[in-house]
Amino acid sequence: MRNINIYLKHTSFWAVLIVVAILLPVTKANAFFLQQKNKEGEVILDAKPANKNALFKAGEEISYKLSVKNTYNEKQEGKFSYIVTSDDGKKIFENTADFSVGAGSSKSLSVKVAPKAAGFYHINFMFNLSAYDDTVRKVFGVNPEAITSELHKPDDFDQFWEETRQQLSKVSPQYKVIFRPDLSTKYKKVYSVEMKSYENLLIRGWLVIPTDGSKFPVHYRVPGYVVELKPNMDNDDYIAFDINVRGNGNSKDVVHINTDNYSTTNIQDKDKYIYRGVYMDCLRGLDFLYSHANLGIDTSKIFVEGGSQGGALAVVTAGLDKRVKVLTMQVPLYADIRDNYSISASYKEQVVPFKMFRQYKNQHPEFTWEQFYATFDYYDPQNFAPMVKCPVLMGIGLLDQFCPPRCSMALFNHLGSTNKEFVCVPNSTHEVDFNYFMFQNLWVREKFRIP
Amino acid sequence: MKKLILSCLCILVFIGINPYRSFASWPIGKYRDIVIPSMFLYHQTDRFDRDGHRVKGDPGAGFTSYSANLYVGYGISRRLDFIASVPYVYTQNKFANGDKITNQGLGDLYMGLSYNLVNFNYVRYLSVQVSGIAPLYNHSVELGLGNYGAEVKLMYCGNLPKSIASKGYFNTELAYRRYFDVQGPDQLSFSGTVGYPISHHDQLNLELLFFRSFSSNKAFNPNINNARDYAFFKPSLNYGHQFTRRFSTFIGGYYTPFGKNTGVGYGGSIQAIIKI
Repeated sequence: MRNINIYLKHTSFWAVLIVVAILLPVTKANAFFLQQKNKEGEVILDAKPANKNALFKAGEEISYKLSVKNTYNEKQEGKFSYIVTSDDGKKIFENTADFSVGAGSSKSLSVKVAPKAAGFYHINFMFNLSAYDDTVRKVFGVNPEAITSELHKPDDFDQFWEETRQQLSKVSPQYKVIFRPDLSTKYKKVYSVEMKSYENLLIRGWLVIPTDGSKFPVHYRVPGYVVELKPNMDNDDYIAFDINVRGNGNSKDVVHINTDNYSTTNIQDKDKYIYRGVYMDCLRGLDFLYSHANLGIDTSKIFVEGGSQGGALAVVTAGLDKRVKVLTMQVPLYADIRDNYSISASYKEQVVPFKMFRQYKNQHPEFTWEQFYATFDYYDPQNFAPMVKCPVLMGIGLLDQFCPPRCSMALFNHLGSTNKEFVCVPNSTHEVDFNYFMFQNLWVREKFRIP
Repeated sequence: MKKLILSCLCILVFIGINPYRSFASWPIGKYRDIVIPSMFLYHQTDRFDRDGHRVKGDPGAGFTSYSANLYVGYGISRRLDFIASVPYVYTQNKFANGDKITNQGLGDLYMGLSYNLVNFNYVRYLSVQVSGIAPLYNHSVELGLGNYGAEVKLMYCGNLPKSIASKGYFNTELAYRRYFDVQGPDQLSFSGTVGYPISHHDQLNLELLFFRSFSSNKAFNPNINNARDYAFFKPSLNYGHQFTRRFSTFIGGYYTPFGKNTGVGYGGSIQAIIKI
């Protein structure tokens, strides 16, 4: 036993020595880096709009409060400037002033900009200091409900979609509802749903029915751009129906296209453009819901929801089919496509959707923008907006480049519904935040009088 | 008779201060209604004296009260709710010599507006409620203080952190009530409730109520309108079951372990919560 104790003591001694030998240089290195960091320091910038949602009324002065924290061990001196540009990159206002902030101290600044016309504006706050250069980029909106855009609705737009719907109605849906015990839980039954859609194409979706009740409102979700929707198990108070339109998720049997080419598939022919079938897939999903009231579906309470491409699909579905009772959408892609083109032209790097459209055009030099619009004017969600009469909630992100706020608001202002609201999330890009979804939940409950 | 006064006051406090504990202070929601019929039972034989000591009641004596309360709430807007409640009270005071005094009738009408001041990410809510109180009985009938009154209440409620309970909640209320009489009383109360789910449809909630009624009239008078100065602490435990999304029930019991110038009360309640 004594030997073991001695052994353990020796082992402990050596173990400690080894650990110290390993850690000492690490600790020294850490100390060195910390020292370097302290020596280098940083300037922490924050810019807050006077109105929390960064939206200002017509005639209201735009103001921001900036806080600047200097962690350097030396005073920072230089220039502070800010530039206001339109959302398509045109310079509107610029101001520059000397600026300094003491070592290890903070400073607050107030920036005021004269009232602006309705629209969205970029404001960049730039600090060029002794040891630090940085830019804080923000977007603010002015009187967004007054934003207008020109509708480029083809003369035969209604006829085109009426004929398309007639073609869809000739396709026998051949619905299949397959119970999936492997995905179901004690409180949710999951079904895989299959149906034939436009041009006799097979599409699939997921139906999730709470076991706790006999009749439910429906949360009908349409997908984002080539995004796979899976069974939505999140809500106890709705039947969740998630459809994967052609080329999305488990509906890729025939259409299986990568994200770079999906939105340009057959763009040269309005009759064959991929979204003709996609839009009809969404309506076929509604057909499914209406023909399966026996599953506990309350057909008087169907709300359609989608984000990004899903936002566009949701608008189109509610516009074409009055069986949709409530519409919620976030950052609707493709809205006001012509203004999106102008705005995106100012981007340093192209993003969805014009990244794909411009890429296609570069690969097809004979293809003109006139040809593009000759097709896309039939598909711009904005052209469906006046047909939407049900209550609408829309969420937008002010920093969104995919769906510029001006385009989303243009669509919103064209909506035929008088019962509509929007939520602006100032620091979001192509998304909304948790708060929005909490509000959306309450908002839908309010519209359906759900306790 | 002293017991009668205290007991009546307690019943009124129980009904008036917290008539909808299982609904807590969430905004009702625009255009939506809530209706809560409830029954309360209260009984006491002993009482607390002014120093908080228990005083044994006379053998055979005791006070019992049954009350039925109807509470309705309507969501005028997303933030503003109208609320009203009216109790029907039956009381029986038994004396050691076998005599009984009974009273019954409508109690104090409680009506007001609740406004959500701020929500915290739609998870927690801070609200204020302003209410008026009006007696619905003849001043000579001992069913309440017999005076008009007003109450302002600050309420903070919300979900418990998910790490504690995914569908748990809390509710806190700080209320000040004033009856319009030269002797008041002025009443201050604080209640805290925690609801904890025990299954998909069942929950337990524990409520702690601290109550203090101040008045220049310290006397313990058989006349109900003159007994206005007392205090108590009342914990209550309730079990709730949700039958449907629109209909749930609560059943619970309570006890008054500490008090001053009030009864050692205990009893129970049953509530139905109907959301329309």
